[in-house]
Amino acid sequence: MAGLTVAEPVTGRDAPRASRPVRRRRHSLRASLTGYAFILPAAVLFAVMGVYTVGYGLLLSFARWNGFTKNWLWVGFDNYLDILYRDDALAPLVQDAAVNTALVMVGVPVLSVLVGLPVALALNRIRFLRATMRTVFFLPFVTTGIAVFYAWTYVLAPGGSLNAVLGAFGLGSLQQPQGFLGNPATALPTLIAVTAWSAIPVAILLYLAALQSLDPAILDAARVDGASNWRVTTSVVWPLLRPTTAAVVLLGLRDALQGFQAFLIMTGGGPGGTTNVLGLQAYKWAFFSDLRPTLGLASALGWVLFVAAVLLAAVNLRMLRSRT
Amino acid sequence: MKARAGAYVLLGIYAVVSLYPFVWMVSGAFKSKEDVFADTSLVPDSPTLDTFTKTWTELDFPLYFLNSVVVTGATVLGVLVVYSLAAYGFGVLDFPGRKAIYGMFISLLFVPGITVLLPVVLLQQELGILGTHLGIVLPFVNGTAPLSILLLTNAFRAVPASLRESARCDGASEPRTFFSVYLPVCKPALITIALLTAVPTWNEYVLSRVSLNDESTYTLPLGLQSLTAMTSPEYNVIMAASLIIVLPVVVLFLLLQRYFVNGLAGAVKG
Repeated sequence: MAGLTVAEPVTGRDAPRASRPVRRRRHSLRASLTGYAFILPAAVLFAVMGVYTVGYGLLLSFARWNGFTKNWLWVGFDNYLDILYRDDALAPLVQDAAVNTALVMVGVPVLSVLVGLPVALALNRIRFLRATMRTVFFLPFVTTGIAVFYAWTYVLAPGGSLNAVLGAFGLGSLQQPQGFLGNPATALPTLIAVTAWSAIPVAILLYLAALQSLDPAILDAARVDGASNWRVTTSVVWPLLRPTTAAVVLLGLRDALQGFQAFLIMTGGGPGGTTNVLGLQAYKWAFFSDLRPTLGLASALGWVLFVAAVLLAAVNLRMLRSRT
Repeated sequence: MKARAGAYVLLGIYAVVSLYPFVWMVSGAFKSKEDVFADTSLVPDSPTLDTFTKTWTELDFPLYFLNSVVVTGATVLGVLVVYSLAAYGFGVLDFPGRKAIYGMFISLLFVPGITVLLPVVLLQQELGILGTHLGIVLPFVNGTAPLSILLLTNAFRAVPASLRESARCDGASEPRTFFSVYLPVCKPALITIALLTAVPTWNEYVLSRVSLNDESTYTLPLGLQSLTAMTSPEYNVIMAASLIIVLPVVVLFLLLQRYFVNGLAGAVKG
């Protein structure tokens, strides 16, 4: 790549005018080659790790395979039909996981907006400690991962600190003797809260940035007209923040649809499948089915998730367009 | 005045929520095996450093730490080299098909990780790199492609064209212009990309778990996970190990906070 361009003659101002058209054509071929050379490493990696794996995954979703036998058994759309409705053992599993995923997809964006916006409004109102607070609020985002999920598991355990703190504050009725993750009734809401806890920092950050870029003249005008703080927030600020809310909601939906790490680490889908989500189900079929031929099912479920992700993005784009 | 007091109350409450698992992580890491559930106070009654030192020395945590540094470092280096070159191509140079190829990379944003996870592992197997660090670094690098290309292309585009023209007039080749003009000017964007790559890679668990099978190759998250697979997991040790994973990230974040914040805002706008 370097050789290509180092050898290039100086085509500066000194170049004779007469030879310009010729030079230009040569230069543009050279420029094109230089351009391709610059993107070559990325393209090669993309071809192998991206295109190849996507193609492979797509083919696999039409096959039955356990990962060990030599040949795939082609089954057409059977995997898709089986997991969506046809198979009596698989479909209920996927449907339950889909309901759980849907609940996460409602819970996480709603919590992100309901917590993120008020916190950002409060941050925007203060000066003292603002930078410190922002740092504190952002920690859950940068640390999200296995370590934090174990910390939550410890906190939420039967003998964990949350039960102890609730007891100390006289809120014993809210305690969970089996632990918040052990009780089938509280496990999913708890995991939704933990997922939201990881997602809220970005919501706060985006709302704060949007609030700081609002035109103060508009807010002043509303106040001069006698609007209360509450009124200004609900009637002026909230509509102006719509694009930000759309972004926060989309990010929350994406996290909820694709993320399953907290579920994998904190409950593994239990107790009794109450916290099984689609991503986790695909992961189990892909890697934890021993010799059963579930790899095709995992791929098919992955593609169902892909279609859902694309639809979400399309809907969100349309929402953003119609509002701006 | 009243409104401001209300703001501080709300912020105080959310600060507690934000920090809650961290303070208990620290608390648990300094408790003994007997106290980790029995002693429910935040400040341990009889704090001990034993848990921490035992986790670090007796278990293989120095090795896991080194592996994590290698994997994260290699991924960051790969991302910076591959995608700054590509972004220069997309943002500054011109060639047929530029927009289409750019769009192809960005469309990767919509492919959920789980959709390609299994094919990635099967591919590692075919290439003979299953279970190696290279085997996970390559998909990690490729996984950042949409975001890295998006942010760096925008950063390169924002560089005034006159800078490039004057460099080219002085006889600088295209690679030379890239190295001596664009990279220095776009240093903040490069740091942002390095951070946005390093942190998730450091914390990565899902792919590592199914790729790395030899304990000598384990990264910190896998080392932590293997602790819980023991017959009777000790939460004080698990919290000490968690602290070992979280601390470097927290330090990095505190030092380079503004790059995170700018980068995220840019990523969402882009």
